[in-house]
Amino acid sequence: MFQLPYRNCVFYLLLTCFSAYPAPAQTATEIVQKADEKLRGATSQAEITIRTVRPSWSRSMDVKAWMKGKDFSMILIQSPAKDKGIVFLKRKKEVWNWMPVLDRTIKLPPSMMSQSWMGTDFTNDDLVKESSIVHDYAHSFLRDTLVGGRPCYLILMIPKPEAVVVWGKLIVCIDKTDFIELHTWFFDEEGQLVNTMNAYDVKLMDSRLIPTRFEMIPADKKNQKTEMIYRNVKYNRPIDDGFFTTGKMKGLS
Amino acid sequence: MFLIELAWKNIWRNRSRTLITMAAIFFAVVLSVITSSLRDGIFDNLVKNIVSFYTGYVQVHKLGYQEEQILDNSFAASAITENKIRENENVSGITPRLESFALAASENTTRGCMVAGIDPAKEDRVTFLRNKVVKGSYLKISDNSVLLSEGLAKKLNLDFADTIILIGQGYHGATAAGKFRISGIARFGSPELNDRFLFMPLAAAQEFYSAPGMITSYILSLSEPENTGTTAAALSGSLGKEFEVLTWGDIIPDIRQHIQTDTGNARYVQGILYMLICFGIFGTLLMMMVEREFEMGMLIAIGMKRIKLMLLLLVESVLTVLTGCMAGLLVSIPVVYYFSRKPLRIGGDTAETYRRFGFEPVFPTSTDPAIFIRQGIIVLFIGLILSLYPMARAFLINPVKAMRK
Amino acid sequence: MAWRNIWRNKIRSIIIMLSIAVGLFAGIAVLALYKGMMKARTRTVIDSEAGHLQLHHPAFTEDYDPKFTLRNGSRILQEIRRMEGVKLAAPRSITNGMLATPGGSSGVQIMGVLPGPEYAASQLDKKLVEGKLFDDAKKNQVIIGRKLAVKMRLKPGSKLVLMFTDSSGSIVSGAFRVAGIYRSANAPLDERRVYIRMKDMNDLLATGGAFHEIVVLLNSDEDVPRIQQELQHKWKSASIQSWREISPETDLMVNTTNQLSYILMSIIMLALAFGIINTMLMAILERTREIGIMMALGTTRLRIFMLVILETWMLTFAGTPLGFLVAWFSIAHYNRQGMDLSGMGKELMSSFGYSTLIYPEFPAEKFPGLLLIVFLTALVSSLLPARKALMMQPVEALRR
Repeated sequence: MFQLPYRNCVFYLLLTCFSAYPAPAQTATEIVQKADEKLRGATSQAEITIRTVRPSWSRSMDVKAWMKGKDFSMILIQSPAKDKGIVFLKRKKEVWNWMPVLDRTIKLPPSMMSQSWMGTDFTNDDLVKESSIVHDYAHSFLRDTLVGGRPCYLILMIPKPEAVVVWGKLIVCIDKTDFIELHTWFFDEEGQLVNTMNAYDVKLMDSRLIPTRFEMIPADKKNQKTEMIYRNVKYNRPIDDGFFTTGKMKGLS
Repeated sequence: MFLIELAWKNIWRNRSRTLITMAAIFFAVVLSVITSSLRDGIFDNLVKNIVSFYTGYVQVHKLGYQEEQILDNSFAASAITENKIRENENVSGITPRLESFALAASENTTRGCMVAGIDPAKEDRVTFLRNKVVKGSYLKISDNSVLLSEGLAKKLNLDFADTIILIGQGYHGATAAGKFRISGIARFGSPELNDRFLFMPLAAAQEFYSAPGMITSYILSLSEPENTGTTAAALSGSLGKEFEVLTWGDIIPDIRQHIQTDTGNARYVQGILYMLICFGIFGTLLMMMVEREFEMGMLIAIGMKRIKLMLLLLVESVLTVLTGCMAGLLVSIPVVYYFSRKPLRIGGDTAETYRRFGFEPVFPTSTDPAIFIRQGIIVLFIGLILSLYPMARAFLINPVKAMRK
Repeated sequence: MAWRNIWRNKIRSIIIMLSIAVGLFAGIAVLALYKGMMKARTRTVIDSEAGHLQLHHPAFTEDYDPKFTLRNGSRILQEIRRMEGVKLAAPRSITNGMLATPGGSSGVQIMGVLPGPEYAASQLDKKLVEGKLFDDAKKNQVIIGRKLAVKMRLKPGSKLVLMFTDSSGSIVSGAFRVAGIYRSANAPLDERRVYIRMKDMNDLLATGGAFHEIVVLLNSDEDVPRIQQELQHKWKSASIQSWREISPETDLMVNTTNQLSYILMSIIMLALAFGIINTMLMAILERTREIGIMMALGTTRLRIFMLVILETWMLTFAGTPLGFLVAWFSIAHYNRQGMDLSGMGKELMSSFGYSTLIYPEFPAEKFPGLLLIVFLTALVSSLLPARKALMMQPVEALRR
């Protein structure tokens, strides 16, 4: 199945949250690390709208997502009506699915992993894939730039030889003051731009300054993109590990 | 015409000789007709069997579906399109399908499968699906149940009257999930079909995939399979750019491959057959000329012009060859017809393989008139070319030497 | 006297000899062609895809679940290699997964192989069209099919990610580089099958040194049923399949064409017989006058009869070696060179990677049968008219 892979980048945005604290940055790697650390919190709960846009149609989905670190996450579909009540659970590298209409919990088998997730540009295995922008790349400064009035670092990221990533290189634009990743450009090994990630609408959510709208735009397809809008985010409320179990999937809503 | 009369008399003057030559031609025609018609018949039958299984002779899709077989490349079933297709005289049956991938689940097992939404009545007319049902009953158009293939049922540990769960990716991103009753189990000869397929009524499938009114293909059966190519081209023209029209050869290329390879091979074998025929005829002609040397020498000595002699010989040959040919064709026609109605039954390994696939183990002959015509003409041609030899002999003959023998 | 007779009418004798020779040649040629053709048909499937036999854990072929490795795989492999009749055995680790590039992803079947044995078993080295084969010094190389390379816009050196589930059901992935691109006779397979080194795969799958499949190539196609039985007997718990079971559609095609070939061969034999009969009949017919003279001069009917038979035998004996030699040399020549029998459609064939060359083989086992047919036909066809001629009155014969 021919799917756009930019979803894996967007997806790790879904599984993260932001926090902001100022600190003097030194090397490029440290800056990226800081930006990355801000994206991860201990836990987060968010209400997100995901929009899949295609030339001939578009689909909007509202979800509620709970996340703890990199290993656990639970996603509940709230709309559209036909999909309401569907739950996805990720535990480390396993993905489970609860469907109210079937009244069954199903562990996604390998053959399903390449299928698109809920009709979006993500696939099921994007939920479990992990690559770290800190550890899997070598970072270097390109130059400084100004984006929407904010001074930013432009940092070049080249994957390490052993890294399990498809990209040839990434260029990321990180805000100097708040260490927010505002833009990321994804290139293949020939240097062709494949995807662009843009972050907008920086707002205060649960006393943190974060962009609340992300879009991932493929370079070679017209009128196609995925948009994620964070309507509401809460950080670091304690969530028990036991919450992320198949038993709990049925009771959510 | 004098020449023709003379030629005819000459021929029958030495009956045995003439009969032998005619016999050579007669057998030549009969053998090459049988060879051709057996070959064509066997492969046409094989293709018919394979094609009726599932693919049909011709398929109509939305342009781009063959490349990327996803639901988003489906199109709206419409009476207008169907009528356009039916207008083509060669189309004998048409049935719509909505096909896509899904996950099938039972109590403890999940397996990937292919779901085919069909119109039960029309489908049966094109692919004879009904008689593959081994348990339970065939589908009805308004059912909300499924016909499961035997292999898949076994893997899922399900049987007729059980419930099966299907999960999949719907049209335009919708999720597809549902529970269905198994109304029947079907057995297919091809393991590919038998282990992965599941059929349900079209409306139920469209509902499941949130694709109202959409189908992925029209499957067509033809009354004259030998014109598959031209029919496909004609349909492509009349349906326009949004559709793609494919023949079975495009969809299962390795079968077509095999047949084409064998056609190439067969040509050489046919060549050897012709060579044998040539030699048989030539041998007799040669002998004949040797024996008639005296006669020809004399004819020229008493004043017959060489040209006339040559023409005479030519006419003799033509008459002989023609008669032999006609006789051969006349005999081979009923023989071929007989074996197409009551074909040879094959045995042994091959029969086993055929039966396993659900095919009848027979080797029919093809009654395509083109075969008769083609072989007849070829043998005629060979005969005529070879008869140039006697003409050449006549041209070169030295009457004195000839008569001295 | 028979000898003199023969040479007295040179042309006639030569014609008879030649017709025997040609008949024999044609018969041998057709048998040789068919033998070569039948082999070629099965060759593609056996030599480059399925091998003669395959061994698996019985549950493996159901769903290709990586946890079903062959128990005692290495030991089985060693023992098979020592078996008589086995040409080679190659192990493979197999799993289904996804191949991801910046431009998209595609479902693939990943074969973890040992380069040497695999090249021998599936001719992968001969199928390579771009790039290079596995380099022992480099890690995580992958060889992909041409169709897939085109679809995903990959070339030698391109980076991609392979993802699949390991033996415990978790998803694993690794970054690989394209070492080379292959093309086989089976385009759909090219799109799905990718090859990596078994070591790289086992590292990711965490199956230790175990593997899922053993492909066995035998020295002779005919040994398949026997060796299959032997193997099944030795390792009752393994699933042992022949190429027929692995690729039933090919089996169907091959069987059909083989059966058809037998029928066609018989038809050729018939044509051959007719050809000889014809010539002989003609020959005898022309001799009526001659026979008449001999009878008038006092030769006994019996002697004439014997004479005719003797002549026939001599000519047959003369023609036979001729036909045989011509057949032998031409077959030997084409056996080395290969005959291209595709005629038109050659382009189409090679786009599939199908070899269109046929290597005819001398049908040693059928030869005695063929000789018999030729002799009998020659004899019978000379007897009948000989009898007829004998029955005639000398006067009539002379008059002809």
